[in-house]
Amino acid sequence: MSKTYQAIVIGAGPAGSSAALTMARAGLDVALVERGSFPGEKNMFGGLLHRMPSLEKIFPDFWERAPLERHIIKKGVTFMTGDSSFSTTIEAGSFDKPPYNGYTVFRPRFDRWLAEEAVAAGATLITRSTVDEIVLKNGKIAGVTILGRSGQISAPVLVAADGVLSFTAQKAGLRKPTFDPAQMAVGVKALIDMPREMIDERFGLVRDQGFANEFVGCTEGVRGGGCFYTNYDSLSLGLVFHLASLRTSGKTPYDLLNAFMEQPQVAKMISGGRLLEYSAHLIPEGGYDMIPELVGDGIIVAGDAAAFCNATGLNLEGINLASHSGVVAGEAVIAAHRAGDFSKQGLTAYKKLLEESFVIKDLKQARNAPHMLHNNRIYHEYPEMMCDFMENIYKIEGLPKQNVTSLFLKSAREKVGLGKLLADGFSAWRAL
Amino acid sequence: MNIDEIFDNTSFTVDREAHIVLNYEICTGCDNRGCVNSCPARCYTWSQEEQKMTFVHDGCLECGTCYVVCHKNAFTRWRYPRGGFGVAYRMT
Repeated sequence: MSKTYQAIVIGAGPAGSSAALTMARAGLDVALVERGSFPGEKNMFGGLLHRMPSLEKIFPDFWERAPLERHIIKKGVTFMTGDSSFSTTIEAGSFDKPPYNGYTVFRPRFDRWLAEEAVAAGATLITRSTVDEIVLKNGKIAGVTILGRSGQISAPVLVAADGVLSFTAQKAGLRKPTFDPAQMAVGVKALIDMPREMIDERFGLVRDQGFANEFVGCTEGVRGGGCFYTNYDSLSLGLVFHLASLRTSGKTPYDLLNAFMEQPQVAKMISGGRLLEYSAHLIPEGGYDMIPELVGDGIIVAGDAAAFCNATGLNLEGINLASHSGVVAGEAVIAAHRAGDFSKQGLTAYKKLLEESFVIKDLKQARNAPHMLHNNRIYHEYPEMMCDFMENIYKIEGLPKQNVTSLFLKSAREKVGLGKLLADGFSAWRAL
Repeated sequence: MNIDEIFDNTSFTVDREAHIVLNYEICTGCDNRGCVNSCPARCYTWSQEEQKMTFVHDGCLECGTCYVVCHKNAFTRWRYPRGGFGVAYRMT
């Protein structure tokens, strides 16, 4: 195996395929290298596909072309304890009109489709190939080798879209040799089979409507949260844990997932369903401060590899950031080819374009959020307080009633402590 | 979700050659062993009696949790499986 391309993209996820697609459409001879037996085979997420500005530009009919599941019309947040839950949901008219705000998708189908679009545009997809080493020639990047095979694939420029651990970025010296567990989370997910009519009936949905819900307080005090999504005829139920918290908790992801599935209110949501698939994946949750060097001589880092993940608010975003960074990486490589300059300087347009886009701007704005979310009380005490307060508001026992303020103070004092509540309120206000 | 039945729910093409190799001596001297509880696929087991770590790569979901939580760098090898091997998600 030995062939020369004008660029090599490592990883056929949303970032890599978007990069390869952009370059192939501009006529570049690009290789898209994927370690799975098909693109998407190794990928999972616990999120939604939101608006994809860069792909919508490439494909005006993006939303008709892409393999999607339901569009989300109803979004909820639930504060949960072992046996109670307090939820808020928003069902907005605009969520039910195109362009839809978010879709559920299956990654093995979506990622495969996007890579096929890159191939249709002229990219060469090389599957079953785990990139091993970066090949240097006269001190410059000249290609990569594939694990377990002889020979190399050559190109003057690489796009490292090889995911959250990006060994390519590490080998190029662009990311730190070790990760900080405080900046990483692991998500585990159960895919649950359920007939379409049952899902529609149970969650109040018609046509292709979908429901998505986030949970706090469902992780037995481990920092993290839960998520729930409706697909056409299956449900996705998952938990996310901050690794710095999980590793010292003594608790296991699967036991916590089982406890979550058995929590009385969650059990009703999934009852009658059958487990289809269990999956896990890391999430780069460190935000802006986790971003590695984005550009080096002959190399650009995109997607999860560049920690482009906005997982600190109620919207969990990643694929849209990845895809946009991939398109911009493609554009930067096209410009570098025109100028014949693959140096860090020659590829610097990538950084500049990203800094002007929502990718870096959003991450920068939420820069302090990851630190705020390291407050353990968010994951246990506050959900307890919310549920206790709401329960007391609705409780009618034939006794003289307390006013709402004193009910709130009672719950706050018992479940959190007033001093801590004030301190947390102050730091939340400062962070936001 | 019974973790003992992971192979009934998730597909794998197991490579005979392990993609993760541990230096077990480092694990024996570890003060944390966060890998044991953190691994979503229960690939790591610690025997208190034998003071011994066991690692099985067969059901590895390739998530990278162990790579991040291990603060002793006990890995003599940590890489993704060779192309075409390892976990194969069908839907998810």
